[in-house]
Order: sequence, then C-alpha cells, then structure tokens
Amino acid sequence: MTQPTRPTLDRRQLLQGLGAAASLPLLGGLAAPAFANGGDGRVVVIGGGFGGATAAKYLKRGNPALQVTLVEPQSTFYTCPFSNLFLGGLREMESIAHGYDELRDRYGVEVVHARAEDIDPVAHKVSLTGGRELAYDRLVLSPGIDIRWNALEGYDEAAADLAPHAWKAGPQTRLLKEQLEGMEDGGTFVMVAPANPFRCPPGPYERASMVAHYFSQHKPNAKVLILDAKDNFSKQGLFTAGWERLYGDRIEWVGLSGDGRVTRVDAANREVETEFGTRHQADVLNVIPPQKAGWIADRAGVTDDSGWVPVQPATFESTRVPDIHVVGDATIAAPMPKSGFCANAQAKVAAAAIVAALAGRSAPEPYWTNTCYSLVGPEYGISVAGVYRLADGQIASVEGAGGLSPMEASDEVRRMEAQYAVGWYNAICQDTWGTEA
Amino acid sequence: MSYPSPLTTRLALAGALLFTAPPLLASDAWQRLEPARALVGDAVPEGDGLVLELPHVSEDGSAVPLTVRFEPVLEDDAIASIHLFATGNPYPEVAGFHFTEQAARPEVSTRVRLNESQRVVAVAVSREGRVWTSEREVRVTVSGCLIRGDEETPEALANPRVSLPDFRAGEPGEVRTLITHPMETGLREGPDGEVLPRYIIETFRVSLDGETAFEAELHPSVSANPYLRFYLTPQAEGEALFEWQDDSGERAEYRAELTLS
Repeated sequence: MTQPTRPTLDRRQLLQGLGAAASLPLLGGLAAPAFANGGDGRVVVIGGGFGGATAAKYLKRGNPALQVTLVEPQSTFYTCPFSNLFLGGLREMESIAHGYDELRDRYGVEVVHARAEDIDPVAHKVSLTGGRELAYDRLVLSPGIDIRWNALEGYDEAAADLAPHAWKAGPQTRLLKEQLEGMEDGGTFVMVAPANPFRCPPGPYERASMVAHYFSQHKPNAKVLILDAKDNFSKQGLFTAGWERLYGDRIEWVGLSGDGRVTRVDAANREVETEFGTRHQADVLNVIPPQKAGWIADRAGVTDDSGWVPVQPATFESTRVPDIHVVGDATIAAPMPKSGFCANAQAKVAAAAIVAALAGRSAPEPYWTNTCYSLVGPEYGISVAGVYRLADGQIASVEGAGGLSPMEASDEVRRMEAQYAVGWYNAICQDTWGTEA
Repeated sequence: MSYPSPLTTRLALAGALLFTAPPLLASDAWQRLEPARALVGDAVPEGDGLVLELPHVSEDGSAVPLTVRFEPVLEDDAIASIHLFATGNPYPEVAGFHFTEQAARPEVSTRVRLNESQRVVAVAVSREGRVWTSEREVRVTVSGCLIRGDEETPEALANPRVSLPDFRAGEPGEVRTLITHPMETGLREGPDGEVLPRYIIETFRVSLDGETAFEAELHPSVSANPYLRFYLTPQAEGEALFEWQDDSGERAEYRAELTLS
C-alpha cells in the first residue's frame, strides 16, 4: 500500500470534518470515541466470508496495532464459489470449507464465534448472542445476502426444506445434492432464476451446467429446465454454446419474454406457475429467490428501500451511518457484480480507508478488479473479467479492460480456463482465509 | 423492511444530519421536453399523487422495470392519461396510457430502455385538465458479469400472452400482457454495419364488447417484447379483445370471454 501524498488531517480535524459532531447531543458518543484502551483503534468486523475475513486480515496487515475482532457464528465457512462443483460431483464439501485459524494465529485477529444481534451506531456498540458487547471505532459489515421470504409467492423458510435455494453454501447445498442423487433417471431438474440484482450473476447457469454434467454421468435421460425472470444473463452466449457442445439439448432455458418468470411456488408438489399461467412439474426443484442485504445491515440502519446498502465508493463507508463500512454482496456497487472476488477487493479498499482514517490520513484512491470463472463442464471453463475505478465519485468500468472468453475457441482453451478457475479459487481463498483449498 | 427497527429511525436522523443529501430538485424536468410541455399546456402541475417506481440503479438498461400509478381518488374527475418520458434517450417519448371508466385504476407497469443514467418523467392528465408530474433519477450501469454477446432477434408479433384475473363487477382486476417483437429503434446497427430500420409496435388496445377500455401508444424506448400490466374494470360480461399493431401494418390479437363473479 503506498502512502498518500496528499496533506494529511489530524484526528481532530477529521472529527470536525464529520459534521460538527460536538453540536449534536445525539452524537455525543462520537465526539469522544475510542482509543481508550490503548492501541490505535478498535475495529469490529461482522461476517467471516470473502469480505469480512479479507477485511480483518488486511486491517491487521495495514496496522498490526489495531484491535480487530471478527464476529462469525460458524467456525467453518463454505464458499458459494465452487459449491456448484460439489453438485456436479467434482468436489467434496470439505474442499470448499475454510476456517479462521490463520487469521487468529498469524494475524492476531480476535475471532468470536457468535451472532451479532444488534448494532447501536450512536454508542458505537455491537451486541452479540450471549450478551457480550463490543465497542468499535469503525465497524465493517460483510453480511452477505438474506432471502426475501415470500417475495415469491409460496416460497418461505419451510418451502426451502422441500425446494432448496442452495444460494448460501452449506446444509442447503447438501440437501440439493441429496435430492439430485435420489431423483429417478428421466426426471426434470427445474431451476427458478431471479431478476437482477442477485448474488453471483453467472451462478445459476454454472449450476445448471454442473447438474447437466452429473446427469450425463448418472441419469442419462434426465433434463434441466431453467425458468428465468430475465431475458439476458451473464456470459449467455458462452454458456449456450457450451451447453450445446457438451450436453446437446439436455438444458432448456426459458427467459422472461418466453413466460419464464415464476410467480408462484408449490414446494410440497414441486410445481411452479409462471406469470402467464404455465405450470411446470419438477422432480427436483431449486428456487433461487429474490434477495436483499443480510439482516444485520437492517439493524445497523444502512440499507435503503431497495433492501441493499448504498456506500461511498472510495471507502465503502455507508452513505447513511458514519463509521460503518459495508462490503460484498450486501452493497450497491454496480457495475461491480455481487461476487466473492468483488467482496475481497472491496474489503481491501475498506480496510485501507479505515487504517488511514484511524491514523488521521486520507484514504488512498482505490481501484478494483473482478474475474468470474464458470465451469460449463469439468474441462470447459469460461470467464468474464472487469477493472473498475472511480469516475465522478462513482464506480465505473475501465473501458477496454477485462472482457469475456472468446466465443470461438478450441477445446484446449476451454480446458485451460477450467484449470485457471481452480487456480483462481485456491488463490482467493488463500488471500481471504489463508487456508489452502 | 420486515424487521421493525427502532434504531433505524434514530439513525436516519443522525445520518441525515451528518451526511446531508443534495436536495431533490423540483419536479421540473418536463419543462425541457416539448411533448410534455404540450401536455401540460397552461395548467400548473401538481406534485402529490403521481407515483413513479423505478430502481435507483439498473444493471440492464435494455429492460428497466417501471411502474407508474396515480393514487388519490379524484372527485368528479378522473385520470385520462399518463405519459412517460426518458429525458436522456434519443427519443424521449416512452409511452402514453389512456384510461376509461372500464380501466378506472390508473396504474401501469412495463419495461423500458434507458440509454444512460437519467431522469425519467411521468405526466398525468385528468379529464378536467388538471396535470400532475413526477420524476425519478435512475443510474444505469452494466454489471460486470452481465457483459454478453449478440442477442437473438425475437420474431415479431408471435405468441401474444394475456393473464386475466377473476373479475368482480365494478372492481379493478390486474391484467398482464406480453408479446414478442424486436421493437427495433431505428438507431441500431445490424451485423453488416447497416442501420436497422425502425420497426416497433405502435399501439396496444383492449376493447370490451367493441368499446375501447384501455389503450397504450408505444415508442422505441419500450423494451423488446413489450410487457404491460394494468387494470380493467369491466362493467358487464362480454368479449375482451386485445390488439397489438406495429408500424409495418401487421397486427396480432387475443380474444377472451370475460365472466364476472
């Protein structure tokens, strides 16, 4: 990280810059924050996925004197990236599991396995299950997504036990795999795909590919039907060509204008109904429902009426609540997609901004990169890459940078991209949790 | 939000004090649009009542979901039409919707094309000549993962779809329609580099027993495969005729028998 060359602010100026806090009795807590128990400041990070774990690590890398606490209920994190490969029979769940030992032991992050239940942004406090309270000078939220239960008629938590979403890796992923394994040959796997924005834009189509691969090995007469609430999807041309090449007509995709938008789910009967009344019977039903920022973002007061979190692009600090930075899928960061790679990149920007702010410096100018690899088959990879930077205070794609895999390419190119995907996965997990994949 | 949070209110206050958002501009973008000025005429536009719903940020400018509705019930008056404009598009006119007593609930959803980040404007006109305006700023950006190759051109006027509710006499029932059509703007180049000629559906009409109940005029800023969601208030049972007419003179229709419960 290079040092900023701009004139720096001292802490007093910084606090004055935050809007004459002293004149607001409401914000009394803000005027006299922190640093009370020594150190260079206290940062609490909520969420141990790509965004949160990266933020915790890079905060300590940026300033080892910071007191950094990572709050994550689970001791093992399963990544959504590569969870489709488990469904396809290419990997075991253990291979996408990551822990927090290295963050704790090597970087000195305090890892607390509890759930954050509430946030008091005025008093700068997080309360955890079990009654513990954590005070912070800066808070990082990486809450991921929550499902909007009942936003799609008939799809509630009980329905997810029958028609899994598997859009958070873990028990839901295992349930979907069990259902696929238990399905009769000749059956139909129906996937309901959501409108934008949602976590991992190419994810549904990689999943359809991996399920088709599994069928080609074990259930040669089974079909895949995707009912989509969109007319276009990520890497559509590449996916469509790959499906034809590897799976013939096994995968059928019905878009929005073909009456693909599902408006009602009957999970008990594994039946869905579309906007114009077409009913589809599934043998295995996978509903990827509408989503929103993870619940704790609501408690912090950082979400807007879209259900997602607006942020200041240069720092990923909330536009609504001071001293709370939000990264990852929960944020409104378009054109950056909701991906693990972006969460990792945004977390580094937030960490650098926090380290600078707590030291009384201004944040370095950020830029971000993203690559989404998808496997169409075990030896058939495709990708899209983007580079982003600030333009007029907003995140903008850098013209001419990044791009898609070529439409016409040899099997060798596709095979190499499948290998790069594995290399990418290992590298980003190493960077995030420090654990070998 | 499904989780009540007393904190949110407290915070909204603190947030508003600390990060003062730029003030919303008065609803005046219509003044820069000739067709909107013609609609407003000498009337003084009113603000409250006309609601325009669009995402703050759209990741696909080729089909941005939009809903417009007029909420208050007017005494001895009714909304006759609502018009949509996209101020940053080459052709700002998007669509006009005409309501009758058999389409008495002025609310329409559709999908529109937005060329760039811009302000979208709605103008509502009542039978007595009152006018309301509303506008929304939309940021259009293409999500990095959504970059895609060439799209297939849909077949024109194939497959008209209509979804009808169980109507009750005198009560508005939600109707949805969808039809395939490229809605070629006349601005786009084809694969050979030649500009593709304009080719759009221009009108959509619903008639109940021969009498027009709801009508929409569509412009090139309506997305391919036009989708419309609106309300009909049939007064009696009878035949409903749905018609789409494009600028090549071709038309498609869909007929249904309406029953009231």
